[in-house]
Amino acid sequence: MTEFFQSLGMNYEWAWFVATIAGILLIAFPLMLAVAYVILIDRKVWAAINLRKGPNVVGPFGLLQSFADGLKVFLQETIIPSAANKGIFIIAPIITFTVALAAWAVVPFADGVVLADINVGLLYILAISSLSVYGVVMAGWASNSKYPFFSAMRAAAQMISYEVSIGFILVCVVLWAGSWNLTEIVEAQRGHGFGIVNGFYFNLLLFPMWVVFFISSLAETQRVPFDLTEAESELVAGYQTEYSSMAFALYWLGEYANILLMCALNTLLFFGGWLPPVDWAPLYWVPGIIWFLLKTLFFFFMFSWVMATVPRYRYDQLMRLGWKIFLPMSLIFVFVISGYLMATGHFGNPA
Amino acid sequence: MIQAIAFYLFATMVIASGVLTIMSRNPVHSVLWLILAFFNAAGLMVLLGAEFIAMLLVVVYVGAVAVLFLFVVMMLDVDMAELRAGFIKNFPLGIAIALVLLAELVLGIGALGAGPLELGTASGANAPNLANSNIENIGALLYSKYIFVFEAAGLILLVAMIGAIVLTHRDLKTTRGHQNITKQVRRNPKEATQMKQPTVGEGVEL
Amino acid sequence: MDYATSFGLIIPELVLTGSGLVLLMIAAFGGEKASRLVSILAAVALGAAGSLTIPALANGAGGDASMAFYGQISADAFSAFAKLLVYAAAIGCLMIAPGFFGQRRAMKPEYPVLVLFATLGMSIMVSATDLMTLYIGLELNSLAAYVLASFLRNDSRSAEAGLKYFVLGALASGILLYGMSLTYGFTGTTSFAGIRAAQEAGLSTGALFGLIFVLAGLAFKISAVPFHMWTPDVYQGAPTPVTTFFATAPKVAAVALTARVALDAFGSQADAWRQIVIFAALASIIVGALGAIGQNNLKRLLAYSSINNVGFILIGLAAATVEGASAMLFYLTTYVVMSLGSFVAVLMLRNGEGENLETFEDIAGLSSTRPGVALCLLALMFSLAGIPPLLGFWAKVEVFNAAIQAGLVPLAVIGIAASVIGAFYYIKFVKVMYFEEPVGRATKGGSAAHWAILIICTLLISPLGFLLTRGLQAMTDTAAAGLFPGV
Repeated sequence: MTEFFQSLGMNYEWAWFVATIAGILLIAFPLMLAVAYVILIDRKVWAAINLRKGPNVVGPFGLLQSFADGLKVFLQETIIPSAANKGIFIIAPIITFTVALAAWAVVPFADGVVLADINVGLLYILAISSLSVYGVVMAGWASNSKYPFFSAMRAAAQMISYEVSIGFILVCVVLWAGSWNLTEIVEAQRGHGFGIVNGFYFNLLLFPMWVVFFISSLAETQRVPFDLTEAESELVAGYQTEYSSMAFALYWLGEYANILLMCALNTLLFFGGWLPPVDWAPLYWVPGIIWFLLKTLFFFFMFSWVMATVPRYRYDQLMRLGWKIFLPMSLIFVFVISGYLMATGHFGNPA
Repeated sequence: MIQAIAFYLFATMVIASGVLTIMSRNPVHSVLWLILAFFNAAGLMVLLGAEFIAMLLVVVYVGAVAVLFLFVVMMLDVDMAELRAGFIKNFPLGIAIALVLLAELVLGIGALGAGPLELGTASGANAPNLANSNIENIGALLYSKYIFVFEAAGLILLVAMIGAIVLTHRDLKTTRGHQNITKQVRRNPKEATQMKQPTVGEGVEL
Repeated sequence: MDYATSFGLIIPELVLTGSGLVLLMIAAFGGEKASRLVSILAAVALGAAGSLTIPALANGAGGDASMAFYGQISADAFSAFAKLLVYAAAIGCLMIAPGFFGQRRAMKPEYPVLVLFATLGMSIMVSATDLMTLYIGLELNSLAAYVLASFLRNDSRSAEAGLKYFVLGALASGILLYGMSLTYGFTGTTSFAGIRAAQEAGLSTGALFGLIFVLAGLAFKISAVPFHMWTPDVYQGAPTPVTTFFATAPKVAAVALTARVALDAFGSQADAWRQIVIFAALASIIVGALGAIGQNNLKRLLAYSSINNVGFILIGLAAATVEGASAMLFYLTTYVVMSLGSFVAVLMLRNGEGENLETFEDIAGLSSTRPGVALCLLALMFSLAGIPPLLGFWAKVEVFNAAIQAGLVPLAVIGIAASVIGAFYYIKFVKVMYFEEPVGRATKGGSAAHWAILIICTLLISPLGFLLTRGLQAMTDTAAAGLFPGV
């Protein structure tokens, strides 16, 4: 894109600057739109599973429901509790929202369609997603209220716990792909299964890791059955209890942007990203971005499906699953996978 | 130009948040400023081309260590007035340490004149191939030349883990909260329930 | 560099690592019942590692042939000697532990595992020829030691000892790291050979600061004055078997490490560090002797005694000659035997209820209730004081001899004078045991293992042990020669 702006007569630095800003907007706006509709899809899926109709009043089939909700919170008054720590109280939702958007910078939507194709892309995502805990913890503390504080403590422990096993799963994928760059990871999946199937999931050693990754991504985004941070039966609304108006909306947007990111990561790391499911020429006539979006949407459907069917975990069960099952399991797989790759000469001969 | 702007932005932020870390009245604010300082330091690393170190700084320090730090500081009721009293008492010691650190800084700046560091053997014979990305170079060095030190560092972490478990683990005598998931999943209606059809007024024998 | 050769050179460490990991699994799955088995296996592993070390000492290995992993670690005769000493002390400390902890129902299989890893750390320390290896070994040892110090976690004094040791130890590590970073910055390398080569021309101010910081950090680890303040508290608070361990093996390792840093890395600049070492030596001797006088607790007293002894060991180092290093190793060996013996003797003093006795009042008239232990303690104390026919005397002679040969006559004279002050409290021990009214408190205690170690230690320091000195001296000479490249 920089070249395009250069051709308009700008010097390189200005062109780079304008191109980057344009790129950010090109990702952020469609993402916000996607979040609005994804919320609608979420509600529709739950409704269908519960044999209800779901939102169907605002606009045809309820298509404008999210915008109506958005307008409602936008017009509300922002209430800051008098005992709250004002600065941090306001910054917390902004951090959540910013961090949720920032991670998208390295996500490749199709071959070459990526804002920053850096060589440590996956590590960047890991780093950014480890920041998202701050929005929650700061909100819980700054509210100066018991339930949000409990929720913040839960969130901190939960996210750190699951990040550990996510890290090991990423190591497994990176070992096989031989790169931390997301584009290269996707390319490494071309024809991975018997030269036909595009995707690491078609691999006996990586499939269990995908299962663990999917469950961990539920925990990482605090979705049911791991939504203990906002367990409404215990903690009112968790860390969001004291929030209203746009601050509340920012949490909502950030949360769904994070969920979409996790769906995209499932796609990119295990299901071949923008590649068609099977390495077969006619399928490449469909643009890569369509495949990417379809796969991401499929994973979003799985997220809603889980939410509509699975009851919430108890906190000790959550910790047990994270530390006593996922962590040892992913560690063993790092060991087994690196051993297998070494034995089969995947890395070439060591110098 | 853009690099220069970014550098001055990050550098100013690191220094400012460093100052605010020690100046804030609220310890939680201090920790948050510290986190901001880490984050901006990571930015500086990126500018230096050390993107791997930058990401590690964020993942390890910001994402894990500082969260636990924040966690503890939030739980503790730190009385700043008491701390300030200690500040006066320990002021001379603090000044002494500060002077030592200042001397170190001066020496460090002086060390710039000692020439560049060699990354290979003492003779520089085995210097790494800088053509690769730094993530590959670090990996290659860690698993070849520095394998012994690297693995021994792993042992240190193992010992730390054993220590933490030895000092805190207690065998719970009660079974409260213990759950045998396999057992729960294996249970079926036939074993768990009984069909009884008592006649009226007879009651059920349990 | 061939990796097979490198790994071949560190086989003792590999044995310790492997057995440590296996024993950890046994400990994790066997639970407390496995404590005894794990202790025995750990001692066997240490013995095996020790026997694998012997060839290096016998061949007088040294130079580039003994360097592994690009010169980061060296399996030379010096490290072999120190390793043997460390392993022997660690085996002793493993043997005495089950009796002590068993009494308190606090024996856990992790104890031998931690001792094993601490010993591995020391093993790395003594063979380190690179600042990074040095630091890694030191931390591996220290971390295990912090945990061991607070092993009786329900005992508040043990917990306090652990915490104190940890906080001060972390500070010392920080100082050491500062020094190392300065040294690295000004010499451009972390390897000892490289540092030595970079300083042939002279010592820059920055590197001098680095040297001072490194020595300060190491002085903490060997509890030399002015970094000794943690020693009495930690030695008193820690469980006695752990104190025994602290007073013997880690001290050997830290002294060996200090010697290697001083003589190898900064070997060409001996004048720069000699004053520091002389100061630390004299201060340790005097503070150790004077501080011990007022003590009533035996473990505390022995802690001051250990500070005092470190001073004598440092005199050998200050000489900066092959003879000095040899004398230092000789004294170190004697010191290990003496402190092992005296701590075990203290460990064996129990009253009717099985509680450990630790004060002077408790041992009044010990000669009539426990004549055997009293006799051994008598010999050990006389040896520590440096009374002629005993081994402690010959060790002191060696050290002073080396100092005088190196031209450090005033140092030797002050050292001899101060050792007279030290003799005061050692002899007080004897006086209390033999010439005071028996209180008859110490009536029980001492398993077969305790007796075995006590008797072996006593025999070694007795005039009988003098027969061994010739062999020991030959060994220390070989080992010390390994420290001086090109001599």
